[in-house]
Amino acid sequence: MNKTGKILILATESCAYPGANAVGQAHSSYPANTYILRVRAPVLFPERFYLECFEKGIWGVIIMSCGVECPYHGAYEALAKRMDRVFAMMKQRGLDTQRLRLTSICTVCTRSFLKEVQQMNEIITKLGPPGAERARAGIPGQNGVMASGG
Amino acid sequence: MIMAGENEYGKEGAAGRRKVGVYVCHCGGNISDHVDVGEVCRRIEKIPGVTSVQNNVFMCSDPGQELIMKDIRSGAADRVVVASCAPNLHEATFRNAISRAGGNPYIYEHANIREQVSWVHHGAAATEKAIRLIAAAAAKAERLEPLTPIRLEALRHATVVGGGIAGLKAAIDLAKRGVEVAIIETSPFLGGRAAQLDRLAPSGESAAQVISELAGRVLNHKSITVHTCARIRTYQGYIGNFRIGIGREAPGGSGEWNESGKKDKPAPARGEFVPFAGVYAGEVLEIPEEFSIDTGIILLATGFKPYEPRRGEYGYKEFEGVVTLPEFIKMLALAGRGGDTLEIGGRQIKSVAMIHCVGSRMIPGIHEEDENGRLNEYCSRTCCTATLQTATTIRKTWPRTNVFEFYRDIRTYGRGQEELYAEAARASVMFLRFDPEEPPVVGKSEDNDGYALYARVKDKLTFGEEILAPVDLVVLSAGMEPNDVSDMVAMMKLPVGADRFLQEVHPKLRPVELSVAGILLAGTCQAPMDTGEACAAASAAAVKASAVLSRGYVELDPFVAEVDGDKCRGTGACVQACLKEGALELVETLDGGEKALRAQVNAAFCIGCGACAAVCPEGAINVKGWTLNQYEAMLDAIVSDDLFEEERPHATAG
Amino acid sequence: MESGVKKFDALVLGGGIAGLEAALNLAELNFSVAVVEKDASIGGKMIRLSKVFPTLDCASCITTPKMAAAAHHNNITLFTYCDLVSLSRNGRGLRAQIRQKPRYVDADKCIGCRQCEYACPVYVSDPEQGDFAARKAVYIPFSNAIPQIALIDTQNCMLCGKCEKVCPTGAVDYLQAPQDFTIESKTAVIATGFDVTPVENKPLYGAGKIPNVITALQMERLLAPHGPYNRVLRPSDGKLPDSVAYIQCAGSRDQTTGIPYCSRVCCMYAIKQAMLLSGSLPLADITIYYIDIRAFGKGYEQFYQNAAAMGIQFVKAKPVIVGSGEGGGVVLRYEAQEDGGRIVTAEHDLVVLSLGLVPGRAPGERAAAPTGPDGFIAVPRPRTAPAVTEVEGVFVAGTACGPKDIVDTIAEAGAAAMEASNYLRE
Repeated sequence: MNKTGKILILATESCAYPGANAVGQAHSSYPANTYILRVRAPVLFPERFYLECFEKGIWGVIIMSCGVECPYHGAYEALAKRMDRVFAMMKQRGLDTQRLRLTSICTVCTRSFLKEVQQMNEIITKLGPPGAERARAGIPGQNGVMASGG
Repeated sequence: MIMAGENEYGKEGAAGRRKVGVYVCHCGGNISDHVDVGEVCRRIEKIPGVTSVQNNVFMCSDPGQELIMKDIRSGAADRVVVASCAPNLHEATFRNAISRAGGNPYIYEHANIREQVSWVHHGAAATEKAIRLIAAAAAKAERLEPLTPIRLEALRHATVVGGGIAGLKAAIDLAKRGVEVAIIETSPFLGGRAAQLDRLAPSGESAAQVISELAGRVLNHKSITVHTCARIRTYQGYIGNFRIGIGREAPGGSGEWNESGKKDKPAPARGEFVPFAGVYAGEVLEIPEEFSIDTGIILLATGFKPYEPRRGEYGYKEFEGVVTLPEFIKMLALAGRGGDTLEIGGRQIKSVAMIHCVGSRMIPGIHEEDENGRLNEYCSRTCCTATLQTATTIRKTWPRTNVFEFYRDIRTYGRGQEELYAEAARASVMFLRFDPEEPPVVGKSEDNDGYALYARVKDKLTFGEEILAPVDLVVLSAGMEPNDVSDMVAMMKLPVGADRFLQEVHPKLRPVELSVAGILLAGTCQAPMDTGEACAAASAAAVKASAVLSRGYVELDPFVAEVDGDKCRGTGACVQACLKEGALELVETLDGGEKALRAQVNAAFCIGCGACAAVCPEGAINVKGWTLNQYEAMLDAIVSDDLFEEERPHATAG
Repeated sequence: MESGVKKFDALVLGGGIAGLEAALNLAELNFSVAVVEKDASIGGKMIRLSKVFPTLDCASCITTPKMAAAAHHNNITLFTYCDLVSLSRNGRGLRAQIRQKPRYVDADKCIGCRQCEYACPVYVSDPEQGDFAARKAVYIPFSNAIPQIALIDTQNCMLCGKCEKVCPTGAVDYLQAPQDFTIESKTAVIATGFDVTPVENKPLYGAGKIPNVITALQMERLLAPHGPYNRVLRPSDGKLPDSVAYIQCAGSRDQTTGIPYCSRVCCMYAIKQAMLLSGSLPLADITIYYIDIRAFGKGYEQFYQNAAAMGIQFVKAKPVIVGSGEGGGVVLRYEAQEDGGRIVTAEHDLVVLSLGLVPGRAPGERAAAPTGPDGFIAVPRPRTAPAVTEVEGVFVAGTACGPKDIVDTIAEAGAAAMEASNYLRE
């Protein structure tokens, strides 16, 4: 079983998801703790979804969007605003905001994909399971005990 | 731990819960060399709700698809997960297989275990990831509902706004395909700006002939109705079903006669070409009237107007003998042929200066903004060739009239245009190149050299030498500006670019569509272009319109927002968050006998982005086929260790 | 071998962006369409680009959806790796003789898994990567090719049999022969595209023999996110170039090469590449030597002005390439028109030739309709019927009838589909 925590990747079906497939076509290996969910537009997810991810034991979340090439006009901008609120809520809960990252990946951006995965892995290896940073800082948990992750 | 659907999701089906069939592909070793397919199947079988687990060397092969079809037919499965290659390759294949077996194609979910597992991971980690991804797909599948694409009836009628060359071409194309067409034109004439030209550049066709031919076909086509002196006043509806209110006025009121037309003249015959005005479409009103048209598609071809130079810009309206290119083209057409020197209004024109890029390619900080703070930074595309054609005509018709062209870059990009440039050079048109920072200066000649004016420039072709050209006439190659369609922009919520032209959906791949479904655009309302390019755009818009209208209906993705009436409390948060005008609104309904506000989706407008789902405090709105519940279930399946418990009896709770 | 006659409403010659757009428009009108493509993948030149001007969209990201839409459309049948042998009249309709070139891989069996590619021991320089990277002798054309079917490059294959052994579906077939078949259609759209002008024709640019002089299409690969080096390097020695120059009209507006016309896209692609370069090589000097900057399309002039404001140097001159400098650079000489006309010698680490556009070369395709003096398909009524050729029922779109950019190609492809559909109705 995988000992490091899991990374959840929300990948847009028009850009980042095919981008992840291009990495596969190139047989470029990357850590298997990455779980890619295909989404139409990540603007669908409310703030609480991200917090739930961490509560349920996901160590890091990468939103791989289409960026400004988003086919849903205004969605990327709305998402970017929501991210600010999520980051604020994460801080309130003593979660390191590096655990959540919004980025743009195109259909052939294989190297950027690998870089994002590598960077997030470095971050979560350093931070440990969600909540560990809070324990280090001596902040008591607000929403019960954080799970240790699979 | 939620591994599979709980009761709220299992309302349907005789057995009380959904039956998920999972089909795992070996891909001839591409998957099975790295993922232990046997192990995968063994673990997936433990998921409550998964009723059939099969595997095949090639799921995409006929025997592979048959496994799915057999389970659907026998009732062994009513939800389907295939774990194989990337969904863009075979998702459609498997959805079709379900349809062929009599199932709804939307009860399908794909697990990508080749591109995102076996090709990038190895050993036990690959197998574990494959299991978790398939479990997630099964969790989603269990929550999928059968869907049907949204079908909107479409009236086989198109409205073309603008009777210029683009509008005429589009109307003819559509009528040929059997679509009823209404043309809404503000003037009494057809032909637009092209009718105000003499010869069309660069190939030199007669504008009168080209316009007469097109307008003749329009006026004689039984499926095309032309409404002149008309404007759109009101607008409602959506793709396939618009209703527009039209107002027609008597010309001479606010509806103008085009350029040369005057009310006191006898009206021309229907179909007659009036030089520099266009083809008279007949029947002008004495009393204004209003009526409405039901139409399936609106095609905007509202065209351009020439830039009007400011007073004093290169001496315009300051000195006699400074005119714009459109004005000059008309003078030239009326000038008598014969003689070596051009004569206009009885005055000999021995020398002409033509200045390019007037009202185009303006640079902030160098050029002056107009009273509304606007600057035409764009290139007007057509003026170089039009200027060269005019210059060449002068040189060839009146060899003793000299022509100087003051330019920045000669943009003869199109077929036959570079040849025209070479021809102008051979005809001894003199070219002078200037920097935008140091434009030519036009002034009144002070010595009695026999010329009224001069144009002076620092010529970059002769290494910055100051050259003074004595001239009788200065022609300003005025650029294009879009016609004012602010009323329609406001009514129809049309996007407009920084350059004030209408903004297409995508500047590379979707140039004739607007973000409002069912409204198309063609010609110079989108960007400067020449007549051939406007006709190509018109046909391209017509073919898009035909695709909608010839089917008689519009089929849209079923992935649109859906409101759960039981949960909605009418907070309006979704309406606020909605990114598409008209897709969501609050309506008054009866809830238990009491009036209440509830959100309502207009599926014709919804783009299915899910911005609404994120903000509803009640979780009452979701995108069909992509619900938050489904994602949460997938998340739970990914983090759950239930399927691995036998090896880790003391596992911590996930 | 004659293997039957296939019947369609419309035949589209060429599976580039023009052909795909025309085919999709016709298919949406419920006509059956055959797309015949000479390459092993559809997508044409556009899928091979890095980004597109002036939006700087990733070319692959906006092309692949069109390719997939065509490949999955019920009314469209793709015939890739096929040559048009002849197109003749068949009553009111047309008859096309098509030759399926052998892939030496059974297209029905191949699942695109690339096992053959990994097993193949032969490395060959890959023209899809500007010849800057290698591929195998059995290969899938490129990562986002459609269809994902392998083919064997018989020039380089040494028949070792390794691919045949590893293929999980037994698709490798060394004895595959060309197959001839006939397509009968009621109408046709020519969308056979362009090639770039051959650099060998022009001794003034070194005729392809001076190192570090590359073509703009090669630069597209260097700039592509999935390109050969993941960065822009000088091919001769892998140096990060400090100075890059573009020579505009290298092969267009030039009577000496027999191409007097303007190729219409080179100004903009050079500016686009310069913008992308200034992103990837922020310290490099980038110079564009030009005759006229023809930034005529929507948003193009603003794009040009932005590039100038970003510090890209625009020098009005038509340089010649003199030879190599000491450090591997390229030495140019030109008359400085904006500097008193003196003769300037300049050295750049890397020089990009903005080559022009000439008609696509397949001879059968060229014979499909009469051409103009420029070699492109003739259009007798360019003002009102820009997609109508001299042959009844045969229409044209994109660069087959003259150089043009993507957006103008898309409009024209729509026009060709409109004309063809009306011809089908008549």
